[in-house]
Amino acid sequence: MAEEVLRLEHLTMHYKTRAGELSAVDDVSFKLEEGDSLGLVGESGCGKTSVALTILKLLPENGYIKGGKIIINGKDITNYTENQMRKVRWGEVSMVFQAAMNALNPVYRVGDQIEEAMVTHLPPLSKEDMQARIDELFRLVGLDPALKTRYPHEFSGGMRQRAIIAMALSCGPILIIADEPTTALDVIVQDSLLREMREFQKKLGMAMIYVSHDVGVIAEVSERVGVMYAGRMAELGTTAAIFHDPIHPYTMALMSSFPSIVGEKTELVSLPGEPPNLLNPPSGCRFHPRCPFATQICIDQNPDFVEHEPGHFAACWHPRGKK
Amino acid sequence: MRAYILKRVAQILLTYFLFLTGVFFLIDAQPGDFGAAYFSDPRLTAEQRHTLSNALGLNKPVGERYVQWIGNFLKGDLGVSFSNYPRPVTDVIVERAPRTIVLFLTATVVSFYTGFAAGKFLAWKRGQLLEYTATIAGVSLFTVFTPWFALVMIWLFAFRLGWVPIGKFINAQFWMGSPVTAGSVFQQMLVTAILAGLALFTVLFLVRRLDARYRNYVRWGGFAVILAGVILYWAQTGIGTLALDILHHLILPVSVVTLISFGGTMLLTRNSMLETLREDYILAARAKGLTEKEIRDKHAARNAMLPVVTAFVFNLAFTLDGGIITETIFSWPGMGATLLEAAITEDIPMVMGGLVFTGFLALTAHLVADIMYAYLDPRIRYA
Amino acid sequence: MVENVTSPDVIHGIEVKIGQVPLWRVRLQMLWISIKANLKLFFENPIGVIGLVIILFFFLMAIAHPILMRTVWPPAIYDPIRGFDLSILVHPSGPSLSHILGTDPFGRDVLSQLMYSTSSEFALGAIAALVTVFFATTIGAVSAYYGGWLDTIFMRFADLIIMTPFITLLIVLSTLFDVGMVELGIVIGLLGGFGGTTVIIKSQALTIKVRTYIEAARVAGGGHFHIIMRHIIPNLLPLAFLYMMFTVTSAIFSEAVLSFFGLLNIRMSWGLMINTTQYTGYLLSFDKWWLIFPASVSITLLCGAFYLVGRGIDEIVNPRLRKR
Repeated sequence: MAEEVLRLEHLTMHYKTRAGELSAVDDVSFKLEEGDSLGLVGESGCGKTSVALTILKLLPENGYIKGGKIIINGKDITNYTENQMRKVRWGEVSMVFQAAMNALNPVYRVGDQIEEAMVTHLPPLSKEDMQARIDELFRLVGLDPALKTRYPHEFSGGMRQRAIIAMALSCGPILIIADEPTTALDVIVQDSLLREMREFQKKLGMAMIYVSHDVGVIAEVSERVGVMYAGRMAELGTTAAIFHDPIHPYTMALMSSFPSIVGEKTELVSLPGEPPNLLNPPSGCRFHPRCPFATQICIDQNPDFVEHEPGHFAACWHPRGKK
Repeated sequence: MRAYILKRVAQILLTYFLFLTGVFFLIDAQPGDFGAAYFSDPRLTAEQRHTLSNALGLNKPVGERYVQWIGNFLKGDLGVSFSNYPRPVTDVIVERAPRTIVLFLTATVVSFYTGFAAGKFLAWKRGQLLEYTATIAGVSLFTVFTPWFALVMIWLFAFRLGWVPIGKFINAQFWMGSPVTAGSVFQQMLVTAILAGLALFTVLFLVRRLDARYRNYVRWGGFAVILAGVILYWAQTGIGTLALDILHHLILPVSVVTLISFGGTMLLTRNSMLETLREDYILAARAKGLTEKEIRDKHAARNAMLPVVTAFVFNLAFTLDGGIITETIFSWPGMGATLLEAAITEDIPMVMGGLVFTGFLALTAHLVADIMYAYLDPRIRYA
Repeated sequence: MVENVTSPDVIHGIEVKIGQVPLWRVRLQMLWISIKANLKLFFENPIGVIGLVIILFFFLMAIAHPILMRTVWPPAIYDPIRGFDLSILVHPSGPSLSHILGTDPFGRDVLSQLMYSTSSEFALGAIAALVTVFFATTIGAVSAYYGGWLDTIFMRFADLIIMTPFITLLIVLSTLFDVGMVELGIVIGLLGGFGGTTVIIKSQALTIKVRTYIEAARVAGGGHFHIIMRHIIPNLLPLAFLYMMFTVTSAIFSEAVLSFFGLLNIRMSWGLMINTTQYTGYLLSFDKWWLIFPASVSITLLCGAFYLVGRGIDEIVNPRLRKR
């Protein structure tokens, strides 16, 4: 039995805005074991990035955890102070940011930025050991160690992302959260990076959470997929189950908007309308205004997130469109 | 880095040359003859009048005069000041420039340092009341009518409280019968300050290589030794009290110029810092588990400083103007007050000398800021 | 929101019936909507509103002066330049019912001087701002659009102006030439229009130049002049408007300093009021505060007000500054 790495229990996170409370994450639960990989997928603004940030409590000033629990490596960190969180961050859970995001500070050498993380979290190392370790990390992610004394602006997008991965691996975390890790890169680089990330994960045995709007990316790298809609988890299951046997009508629509080249031709289900305004989310099931199967109960009551088949959860009153 | 600096130096020299050309033709374009006011001075003999006219080359075509003026400038000859006749302009500049440089340099360094620290603090500790108070204070200092501000300061600290003298460079009574001139004492003070500054910088630089445990002891020990050295040196020269008199007169003008540039720096740093805090590398730094101090001072402040240094270049001229106003109000005989007086008395060679000096000071500061920017931002350094 | 997307002939709530409404009316309506939205943003921000209130206050003062002169203030006593109150024996005299802000050493009413000068301060600011914006936008747009040697010349020139201390140069100019309010406004405008403002406007123009609609206009056969006039300059105007505010601040400030030094050829201004105080020897007589405070505070307030309005506009023009 593998060790449990992360467990979210009914996690709810709100932003306080001038226009009112924005419910960004609502009642999200899942767990992750050593070596697991989970993909979080959904439209922009569905709360997938908010989930990622909440796990490390990296919320902006106006965001706060309203309810639920975050358990990392058996420790309930929900009420950890900033100071306590510092040890968890990067030491146990590290992040890979979107490549388009400038996650590397432009004014410091890439190698020094990795060193900084290690100085913070690892036991004191001699200068030589530290440099040797950085070289090793660079080689691991396919970068020339000589590049460590360069500045971020001298790196290409793909190289930068490799450097960030090296940084994420530097302190031996048990979980890495990758937020849109390859979105800004071109397809070739994207492909090789994803494959390599998959390899590191297997080799080093850590858990991974991929966050992406791109169903293709998620399908390639993760064993399980969580589909998010309007701050809630709509469906969670193995990648195969989600792709070939979706339960939630939203997943059905999402999957059909990603046509398979080899599979049989299916009709593309179109989704009318836009994601809801989370300042004032729809009553009941948040998907009901756009759902072709919606009935009165969907408007009145929020469906529970229940296990329909072993390991395959969904929150829907009309699974697979059945009445 | 070296290539960048060389390139900037070349550009700055070119700009300075353009500036000199601009100054010459601007003055030349004025209506009427620019010695007229002085040639009609009945105290001048015909011979002197003739020498002056020849020295100024007033009867030559403008192109020739321009070449001659530039040539003389390169030889360090800026002509003779009418109002200080027969002192050469360069002589007046050598006497008064150090004062303006000290005023400008102290005010700039202090206001940059304190303004940046205050802005950084404001961006970090956000609170409605503090934010409004600081914004109002900053905007007030930034837009206050400088002469009035200087007057209020004089009235308060010199007139009412009597902490500092009302104006002037020295207390003349005090200097009566002293063997040295104020100029030479000031020059000695300047040399001491530069040497002490260099020593301080060396200490700070060496301390960084030491083991963290000793750093504070060595740092403060070094400061104490330097301070003691300076005090001992001045005590044994016997003119220490005269130097103190100059310092006493220096406090208020420096404070005024510092304060007027402080507000702008503080406001800008705050904005720049708030923008930087939204950057992704700040989120990454937080995710890395760094301490607040590391995130603020190492990651945010370093980047937030870049626009502040850029704005410093834009504000150079503003600070120099503040210097002119302040020198005039305090009757503090630096280059600013000299230039204004020369302008009012139509002492053209002195006006040109003043402009030449002002341009030199502005461009040197510009160059220093550029080099500092390149040092702070590798994207420039390795461009 | 949902309805808007499903019915394509509704844009931002305006019904667009193609062929029925002339295009200019649609454009006008769109413009009005964006102005309304921006005004709403502006008024949400106390900084800009405070500035606007102060400007409005001075504007009312400027309007009130000629009215007061014609109604309740006899010109012989209250004329800002030639007036003299014979009924008071010693001038300067402190505030009283007839002279709310007292009289100056020549027996003239301070409040009248203050109000009289306001309109010329506005005029000066307006001239400087318009000249600056005209040159800064034209040069910025042309320089960014064509680039090359034209750009190099303008930018080197701008560098030169940026590093030249403004007031120092004006001091020299005003002693060499006869400078009044209008000339001063033009010179300040030119210095801004060829200096710092141009550099900022040009960098903005560079970002506009590479946008797709410029490419589209070019492909559609638009001439250079057409593209600059119709596509680049209109997009520079918001930023130009912002820098107009800062130009007004520096114009009023410069005028005050030069008048204070007695270098300008003008009959009355706030700076001149302080100059009068200075050469009559009352500069540090703070017990006679009305000689120096009203003018100084007015200069500070009006400069600050335009700066604040500028900051308010800044937060609209640069959305990255906006609070989320």
